[in-house]
Amino acid sequence: MSNVVELRDVVKTYDLGDNIKVDALRGINLTIKRGEFVSIMGPSGCGKTTLLNIIGGLDSPTDGQVIIDGIDITHMSEGELARIRREKIGFIFQTFNLVPLLTALENVQIPMIFAGRFSNSEIKERAIELLRLVGLEHRLHHRPTQMSGGEQQRVAIARALANEPSIILADEPTGNVDRETGWKIIRLIKGLNETLGQTCIMVTHDPTIAQISERIIYMLDGQIIPEPPKLTINPSSSMLADERRQMLLAELKWLEASIKGLEVRKNRLNQESYAQVKLGYEKQLERLKKVVQEEYEKRRSK
Amino acid sequence: MFRTARFAFTMARRSITRRKFRSALTILGIIIGISAVVSLMTLGIGMRSQVESTLNEMLGAGIIINSGTYGIDIPEHVQSYISQVPGVNKSIPIVMSMVYISNKPYTVVGIDPVQASEVYQVTLEDGRGLRQGDDDAVVLDSTIASNLGVKVNDTVTFSTQAGGVGKTFKVIGIIRPMAGFGQFVSIGCFITLDAAQDFFNTHDRVSSILIRLDDPNQGEQVEAILKQMFPDASILSQEEIMSNINQVMSTIDGVLLGLASISLMVGALGIMNTIMMSVHERRREIGMLKAVGGERWHVLIIFLSEALLISLIGGVFGCIFGLGGVYLIQWFVKTLGLNIIVPLLISPQILALGLIAALAVGSIAGFYPSWKAANVRPVEALRYE
Ligand SMILES: Nc1ncnc2c1ncn2[C@@H]1O[C@H](COP(=O)(O)OP(=O)(O)OP(=O)(O)O)[C@@H](O)[C@H]1O
Ligand SMILES: [Mg+2]
Repeated sequence: MSNVVELRDVVKTYDLGDNIKVDALRGINLTIKRGEFVSIMGPSGCGKTTLLNIIGGLDSPTDGQVIIDGIDITHMSEGELARIRREKIGFIFQTFNLVPLLTALENVQIPMIFAGRFSNSEIKERAIELLRLVGLEHRLHHRPTQMSGGEQQRVAIARALANEPSIILADEPTGNVDRETGWKIIRLIKGLNETLGQTCIMVTHDPTIAQISERIIYMLDGQIIPEPPKLTINPSSSMLADERRQMLLAELKWLEASIKGLEVRKNRLNQESYAQVKLGYEKQLERLKKVVQEEYEKRRSK
Repeated sequence: MFRTARFAFTMARRSITRRKFRSALTILGIIIGISAVVSLMTLGIGMRSQVESTLNEMLGAGIIINSGTYGIDIPEHVQSYISQVPGVNKSIPIVMSMVYISNKPYTVVGIDPVQASEVYQVTLEDGRGLRQGDDDAVVLDSTIASNLGVKVNDTVTFSTQAGGVGKTFKVIGIIRPMAGFGQFVSIGCFITLDAAQDFFNTHDRVSSILIRLDDPNQGEQVEAILKQMFPDASILSQEEIMSNINQVMSTIDGVLLGLASISLMVGALGIMNTIMMSVHERRREIGMLKAVGGERWHVLIIFLSEALLISLIGGVFGCIFGLGGVYLIQWFVKTLGLNIIVPLLISPQILALGLIAALAVGSIAGFYPSWKAANVRPVEALRYE
């Protein structure tokens, strides 16, 4: 029972109709222990979100077995999955996803209202306590539009913790905030992991952020790969010579591999999803190249 | 469950206040629908009660024989045959016809003053009633008197056609109006039978014979005998008249109800549209609600609350405006100079019905979009910006 997550040969295929199928996950085997902090990295479209959704009971696998906290949720009904989500899972999204009509305090209360585990006064006390935990005791009655991105994400973290979940699933939690705020959020999550022993699974594109987790899972094209692909250092980036460079280049490499893979699969995808995925890759590539460039210039100016 | 509902209403309240203009339009739609229901129902019920009491007052008689031509051509002595029909307690010949007073048409009844009290219950407000030999006198009801601007001891001139020269009668008594729903139907102008026959120049002839029965339940048998005796006459029993009138009233009710439902339908479409838009705008939010453990019914309740709250507000104001509408119609009828009294019966049942109708419309119209919301697939809702 020390495994909170156990995935066996999990396959997820999206059927887009007209005989077009997308293999988002292609045989995932993964175990995560209680209290672990795991990062998932990989190029856009490689299936990270799909994997989190399946672990979180938001989506069901096409094949394989999903065991969460010792419970086999593979064939659960919609209602049973909803119960698993509110009792065992806390989701944190890139876009915060707070209810704009509700205050911070009310947003944190939502999962507890759905769960019906605490009394009304307990719910309120707990929500206040959680908001204090994330350092927002002065923002209780603010609406999301009256808060900064970082504050909103901290509300979302408090909300994710509301029902004392077994697992926190964070999908690019720093994707929509600036770097500095991102770090604050990561340190907050890391702190929860260290002080509460909270199991966390986080998707990130940022190798330095991934560094703070105990384990990094690399994905490529719907599969988990043991380590980032070997690098062939090209001259333009030979000036970067540390761990960070390694990570960046690894990601660059995956991206290029993914794009190649996408071209191979092009005929099996419908035009829309192909275009969408490709656009995602290209954006990512652009961003990465920029980061590499910045990094490169920083080094040179030193 | 209760907690979710309370939470849902908080969200609904804020959603409505956030989209003020849109909500106001939707609520207005419901207000129009419900106020139409309330005012039309109030009118319908008022008219029905009016008609019923009118008939009861008019038809002290169990059976009325009218001339087949609706003229004044029944020989008065026929009455003596009728009196002998078994089951007939009393038969009273009358002349009922139209006269013009100050160029406006009124129904005048000529009746033997002694017998009048047997069929018409009247209450004197001023002056006195008709007596035998009062052949130049008229008794008016207060509505007609005030329309004509006359008091006791004033005179009025009857003529058989508008603008014609006529005969002058002295107003000797003013009575409380009997229930009536129009000057053509309501009876509020009485002269003696002799005076009427003299005025219409129909000596020994009458327009109708009112018959009182020994036992009201014998109506059918007596009617059958009379039909054999006078095949050409139009013989109406009170029951028949009642059922005819009821039929007419039901038709009117139907039309009013139809009008009301059309306006309710418009309100319903408004709600459906508003909730549909709300669901569309809040797709991501729905996905999130499900991700944090919300089930279908949680989402359903959240959106249904919005529909119910809108319809509740619309219902309350609809009831208020509906009653206002009745006053408005009354006023309108009055300024048009129509002599129709539309009684205003504010019944709590109608108000309750208005509210229930509003909530029913809200939940029915809100259900489909809320159901759509409940079935949003979270993975897809969260996927797209
Ligand atoms: N609902 C869906 N219908 C069809 N295809 C889907 C669906 N969800 C995901 N996919 C496809 O599955 C693959 C994996 O998508 P996923 O969102 O898991 O990628 P990701 O690694 O999270 O990417 P990103 O870093 O851009 O968020 C992609 O090719 C995507 O187009
Ligand atoms: Mg993703």
